[in-house]
Parts: sequence; C-alpha cells; structure tokens
Amino acid sequence: MMLTVENIDVFYGAIHAIKGISFDVNEGEIVALIGANGAGKSTTLKTISGIMHPRNGKITFLGEDITHTDGYKLPAKGLAQVPEGRRIFLQMTVMENLEMGAYIQKKVPPEDFDNVFAHFPRLKERRSQIAGTLSGGEQQMLAMGRALMSHPKLLMLDEPSMGLAPILVEEIFNIIREFHAAGTTILLVEQNAEMALQVADRAYVLESGTIALSGTGKELAESDEIKKAYLGG
Amino acid sequence: MMTFLNYLLSGISLGSIYAIIALGYTMVYGIAKMLNFAHGDVIMVGAYICFFAVSRYSLPPLLGVIAAMAVCTVLGVIVERLAYKPLRSAPSLAVLITAIGVSYFLQNGAQLLWTPNPKVFSSVVGTNRLALFGGQLTVSYVTLVTIASCVVIMVALTWFTGKTKTGKAMRACSEDKGAAQLMGINVNSTISVTFAIGSGLAAIAGVLLCSAYPTLVPTTGAMPGIKAFTAAVFGGIGSIPGAMLGGILLGVIEIFSKAYISTQLSDAVVFAVLIIVLLVKPAGLLGKQVREKV
Repeated sequence: MMLTVENIDVFYGAIHAIKGISFDVNEGEIVALIGANGAGKSTTLKTISGIMHPRNGKITFLGEDITHTDGYKLPAKGLAQVPEGRRIFLQMTVMENLEMGAYIQKKVPPEDFDNVFAHFPRLKERRSQIAGTLSGGEQQMLAMGRALMSHPKLLMLDEPSMGLAPILVEEIFNIIREFHAAGTTILLVEQNAEMALQVADRAYVLESGTIALSGTGKELAESDEIKKAYLGG
Repeated sequence: MMTFLNYLLSGISLGSIYAIIALGYTMVYGIAKMLNFAHGDVIMVGAYICFFAVSRYSLPPLLGVIAAMAVCTVLGVIVERLAYKPLRSAPSLAVLITAIGVSYFLQNGAQLLWTPNPKVFSSVVGTNRLALFGGQLTVSYVTLVTIASCVVIMVALTWFTGKTKTGKAMRACSEDKGAAQLMGINVNSTISVTFAIGSGLAAIAGVLLCSAYPTLVPTTGAMPGIKAFTAAVFGGIGSIPGAMLGGILLGVIEIFSKAYISTQLSDAVVFAVLIIVLLVKPAGLLGKQVREKV
C-alpha cells in the first residue's frame, strides 16, 4: 500500500469539512477523487500534503505515519502535488520554476530538465520566459513539469483540467497517462468526472465530506447514480 | 559647479545609507508581507556595538563592523522568532503594532543599557578627505566608502537572489508560500534567513550612518528608519532594485532641497515627491503589479 488514509476528520475552524473518510492508493494505480464543488476533494489533498492537518485519523505514506509531518518535508519522501489553480511562480522564469521543483535535490541532473521537456516540448521553447506570460494551458503544463522534477513516487493532481479548452484537457489527460506509464502512482482530484473515470483504475466519490461511493473507474462510469449526478446522463 | 557636485555626492552617500536600510524593509516585506518598523532600531544597535568594540575595546574598525553585523544578525533572527513568528497567521495590523512595540523595546533597552547620553562615534574610515580637481572638490572617505559599500551590496544581493538556490527559494516564498512549501522549501527558515540578511545590512548602515553623522543616541535609528521605509515604498516595496533606486533618489532630493530650498522644509519636499510618485505610480517606481491568469 502506497498511501493509506484512515478516518480523517478535517476542520476549517468550526466547519467540519472532512467527516471520517478512509481510502487507499496502491503502487502503480491511478486513483481519482471525484465530486461536486465543496465536497472536500481539495481539502483531502491539502491534508495529505501537510498544508492542513486532520483533527483525528491517520495518514500513512510508504509505511510512515505522516499525519502531522510538516508539509515541506514530504517532497523528499516522494510526495508531490500539483495544486489547484497551478500556483506556479509567476515572476520567475520557466527554468527557475523547474529548478524550484527540484529544490530537494542537491544537484539537478540536466536529464531531468530534458525529461520534462520531452513531455512538454512547448516549455522548452519558452524556458527563459517569465512564467506569468504563459497561457493557461502552458501554466498547467509547467505546474505538472515542476512536480515531476522531484521524481515523485506519488503525484497528486488537483483539478488539472480546470479552466482549460477541451483540446487541452485531452492533452493534459494524455500526459497523466504518460506519467503513469513511466511508473508514477497518481492520485487525481477532478470535477470532470467523465475524463477522470476514463483514466482511473479506481475512484472514490465524495459528497459533503464523506465517501458516497467507490469502485473501479469502469464500474462508476456505468453506474446510474454517477451518470445522473456527474455525467449529465 | 563644484558645489553642485559636492551636494550630489553627499546626496548619493546619504541615499546609499537609506538604500541599504531600505533593502532590509523591502526584503522582509517581500517575504513576510509585514512592515518591520523595528528595523531602524537594529541600525542603532549595530552602531552601538561598533562604537563599544572600537572605542572601548580598541578593536580594529573592521572587526567592529563584523561584530556589529554578527550581533544584529542574531538580534534580527531572535526578534523574528519571538515576536513575529507566533503572529504568522494573525491580522497584519496586529503584526504592525507588534513591530512598533519591538521598536520601542529596542530603544528603551538601549537607554537602559547604554544611557540616553549621546556617544561620539569615531568614524570607522577616519576623517580624511580626498582632494580632487586641484583641491576644488574635496570628498570625505566616509562618502566614498558608503557609496562603494552600497554598490557592492547591490551587486551581491542581485547575484544572491538571482543565482543561488537559497536566493531563488526566497523569491519563491515571497510569491507564494504555499506553493513553495509544496516544493519542499522550509518557509520558516527561509524567512529567518531574510531577517538575518536584512539585519546584517542594517548593522553596516548603522556604522556608515554614524561615521557620517557621529552623534549616537538610542533614537538614532528612528528617523533614518522612517526615511528608508519611505525609500522602499518610493522604489516599489518588495523590489530590491526599487529599494536601491528609491534610497538614492531620496538622499539626493533631501540634500538638494536642504541646499537649494530650505533646510527646515527638506523633509516636506521629500514626502511631497513621494506623494506625487505614488499618485502617478501607486506601486512605486519599480513596483510590479502582476495580474494572475485564471
């Protein structure tokens, strides 16, 4: 088991945002968390990556209890997150953003940059450009490339398709498949349930802070409940 | 003509001191998004340390400067840990008031330790003057050393923030602390490093300031602190080249208005220029207003 989340409760002040949810991610899987706005998907990711901490429950990553570990220590353990809204460093160049992605490494091998540029040729063209001048799709690619620079064992993506044109959404999901094929385990949070269920081995459906359903991507894509609520069927 | 040049040089020299102080304000603001109003008083502490090292313990001036930098660096980090770090998620007004509190604490602490009686600071670079153009223009070594220090500090900081890993991490933190943490950057220690650098620079500024204006009292740092803060806003707070430019312009404007307009009105002129600049460019001369893409 790569990641295990057991019965976590997360609060924003008095608001009980995550109500005792449990799930797990096996090595080599793509697992999706889907659900409507405010269901608690992003909060779950933030709690795993140490930006927030649960009041109760336990999070285990590669056999180590990381429930209360400071967030900045997690990338060195093999956990990377592409946050919601990309959050790239807009005033730094594309190269500097990638260097920051490799911050935990003492010396960055040049192949690591080549590897990112192989996935995202467009970033190579714009390597010395200030990141704030990139288009939305390019910024998403930079955010993903930046996360790749730390050689994560588990990559968590928060709404990678948000605000992108359909053709770019397609491209981003192809790259997620590429990452996965290269051996990275992926935890994906998406509102675009259709796309997410297509790539996911397994998925969990969140509803107001609890897990309402779970199953393989295929099962959920065919379930009537899901079709009605999320797939417009 | 020679008088004009003389005024210009004193202006640049005074401005260089403002610039070095303004760097501390602007770097701390950039990363911690707080105005550290105690920064001016760190200058005063640095000047006292150098004074005692050189005048009482007869250390060579360079060692005095190094001692001042060491003490101020530690002081800056301790103040951040004890006073500001616990307020990291508090409203900015609470942090501002705390900074003012720390400022008074340092001033009164200095009064208690070192008495309010003025100390006569002996310049660390001597009082010799350099004669140029056959003696028509004389420049003190203090002026030259001040301007040179400012240039060296500017070049060093530009290199540090642009090329080193820690420097880049500082820029990343000042843009987005959450994202920086996701990269594995320890935001708290990066903030400490920033306070350490700013306070070390304040020590240099204190020594240079008192070498040019040798009366040292516990409130010595207050007015230059306010002026340097103005310089940082003038240049665009958060911007390192902005602090440099703002500081030097402020010094030059101040000296010129003292020379050509009125000594009493010089501060009024300085702030009038600040108001005009902020009306035209609200983010300061080199301040950036970045729009986020969604």
